[in-house]
Amino acid sequence: MQSTNAISGQFQHSGSSTLYAASATLDAGGYLSVRCQQTNDMLAQAGTEDYRFGVVIPGLPVELRLRDGAVFVPDDNAFRWPQLSGRANLAARLESHKLSIVAAIVLSPLLLWWIIVDLMPMLASAAVPLVPDKVKQQMGEQTFYSLQQTVLSPTELPQPEQAMVRYHWQMALQQLHLQQQHYQLHLFKSEFFGANAFALPDGTVVITDDLVLLLKHNPDAILAVLLHEIGHVEGQHSVRLVAQSLGATLVIGIMFGNPEGVADLLLGSGSVLLQNAFSRDMEREADQFAIAQLTVLGKTPSAFADAMSALLAQHSEESAESSTLLKYLSTHPDTRERIQQATQPSQ
Amino acid sequence: MENSVNHEAAAQPAARTSKVAFGGKAGEFFGIWIVNLLLSIVTLGIYSAWAKVRTNQYFYGHTRVDNQPFRYLATPIQILKGRIIAVIIFALFFVLSSLSPMLTLVLALAFLFVSPWLIVQSLKFNLRMTSYRNVRFAFHGEYKGAFKYFVLLPVLSIFTLYLAMPWALKKMDQYLCSNISFGGKKLHVSTDTSTYYIAALVAMAAIFGLMMVFGILTAVVAVIAAFSGEAAESAEGRGIFALLLSGGVFVVYFVGFALSGAVYQSMIRNHLFERTELPGIAKFKSEMKVMPYMWLILSNLLAIILTLGLAYPWTKIRKAAYMASVTTVAVYPQIDSLVDQAQNDSNAFGEEAAGLFDVDVSLA
Repeated sequence: MQSTNAISGQFQHSGSSTLYAASATLDAGGYLSVRCQQTNDMLAQAGTEDYRFGVVIPGLPVELRLRDGAVFVPDDNAFRWPQLSGRANLAARLESHKLSIVAAIVLSPLLLWWIIVDLMPMLASAAVPLVPDKVKQQMGEQTFYSLQQTVLSPTELPQPEQAMVRYHWQMALQQLHLQQQHYQLHLFKSEFFGANAFALPDGTVVITDDLVLLLKHNPDAILAVLLHEIGHVEGQHSVRLVAQSLGATLVIGIMFGNPEGVADLLLGSGSVLLQNAFSRDMEREADQFAIAQLTVLGKTPSAFADAMSALLAQHSEESAESSTLLKYLSTHPDTRERIQQATQPSQ
Repeated sequence: MENSVNHEAAAQPAARTSKVAFGGKAGEFFGIWIVNLLLSIVTLGIYSAWAKVRTNQYFYGHTRVDNQPFRYLATPIQILKGRIIAVIIFALFFVLSSLSPMLTLVLALAFLFVSPWLIVQSLKFNLRMTSYRNVRFAFHGEYKGAFKYFVLLPVLSIFTLYLAMPWALKKMDQYLCSNISFGGKKLHVSTDTSTYYIAALVAMAAIFGLMMVFGILTAVVAVIAAFSGEAAESAEGRGIFALLLSGGVFVVYFVGFALSGAVYQSMIRNHLFERTELPGIAKFKSEMKVMPYMWLILSNLLAIILTLGLAYPWTKIRKAAYMASVTTVAVYPQIDSLVDQAQNDSNAFGEEAAGLFDVDVSLA
């Protein structure tokens, strides 16, 4: 190891605010001596075991810390101790090198995008089978209970319609060899949901009176809707959505820290957009499941398109103007896109 | 401040008064930030602990009072441990609360009781890791006080229709500051309740005024549109008006947010610094002004949006530089000979295993 000429700087004893203008020397063996510049008194001496270099940060001097808590700081911000290992310098060199900065500007957004769009959903799908059935049951029951207490009321459908829906439900479950005890169909009247259907993670599927009435002349369309909801359960979408949202929130939180105040607002809306994107992906998956199973059951996939068209006609006002901006705010894919998907294979 | 310094000068030796100096450069910090971001992504977040330490060291090291820098002493491993604990707690909370609505309520209640502990823990850690002239800061608050000032008073003030909130905020600031010590001496705080009420009122008045201006402008535009005839009749004209209106609401929301924040923060910070001192060691002065600070917040936000986040390092440097430029510290000669008795560094390298909870449980 080479020796260092006297480096001028300031020295402080452990826990003491008294400053000494001092000069430090490291001999060939790495032995440190710090002398006061005014009196030439020896302030500190230490072998290589008893001092360490501080962290190298661009624009700041590299301090020497002694084991007892004393510290020597060179006056020259740009001075780098020759004894510093390449590894200690590495981070600072990357941080001030043009090439690595440009690489970081290009790669960071790409990798972040890949992690959130590809890696997270993949990990979430892998993690879902590990979730015990009991947990999914709990999730379903709890949500079902609160919905019943708040926005669902008993069905007012006439018996024949109820029977028709249940018949298609039973037929679908039997022919698709799905485990019947996993699935429960419920009919409810709901002002809140309007014409709608939804599935809970434990296999509870709810279809509203309004939707049955809307599609009652086209039983295959009702079947298509039920299959879509079964698709959500089979794909374990509720659990996956939780896992993906958790992953994305953690990634954003850790990478960007907690930028104070205003930036929080941006991050908040960012994670809502992400969650909606995940949700849209899962709707597409459930659509594909429904379309594929319709074929298996010997029905035409256009039954799904019929169901969507009926819904579209009902809220034509909102859906007709679905602009590209609204697309990112929506939890479901564009309805016309969904109709197209269902009609394409049959054309 | 000048007056009070001169007045004190009779009893005390002359103080050295100077502005806080901040020497960080946007270009330099941009490199640190973007490279650390990439390394954090590549290591799946593990390097983020190193990134945080390096960032803090950069900002502390570039902030100088009386020509001496601050130092950030935490090691990346300590930060990493705290983050792992925080991630586990956060994930549990997230998963359990998505299992059932009832559980969410129970967890929120539990969090209300745990949060004071987390706050105290975080303050203790962060102040102990902050050093100036080789003397560390310390926080002396305990769970009981934190629970009282961060949970009990704010919750109770809801029942006064928030009328007691400014008083609760004053108590909170007082609790925070008076429990901070440097070199064995605690900060002495003597803030006024009235200033907190005035600051809250002015902040509210500012928002109110802004909304009035916006309302009048909207009305004027609507009237002009109505008189210009056809435009108002056609669906297209109405669509444009609706778009402008929602855009306006968005802008007013952000400006209102920045304005009220700037008013409250600058008034409170100026008052707090004026009324806080480290007896015999240092006095402080803050001269924040509402308009420059509001412009800083708004333009920073705008820059971050327009550059898709790339301006973040520049905004951070800019804010730190502004905060330093409005802060003055007077130090008395006693600062040159402080010895921290409690600071018994048997091994300053922190090699011996620190306690499991000698960490800052925080995601950020």
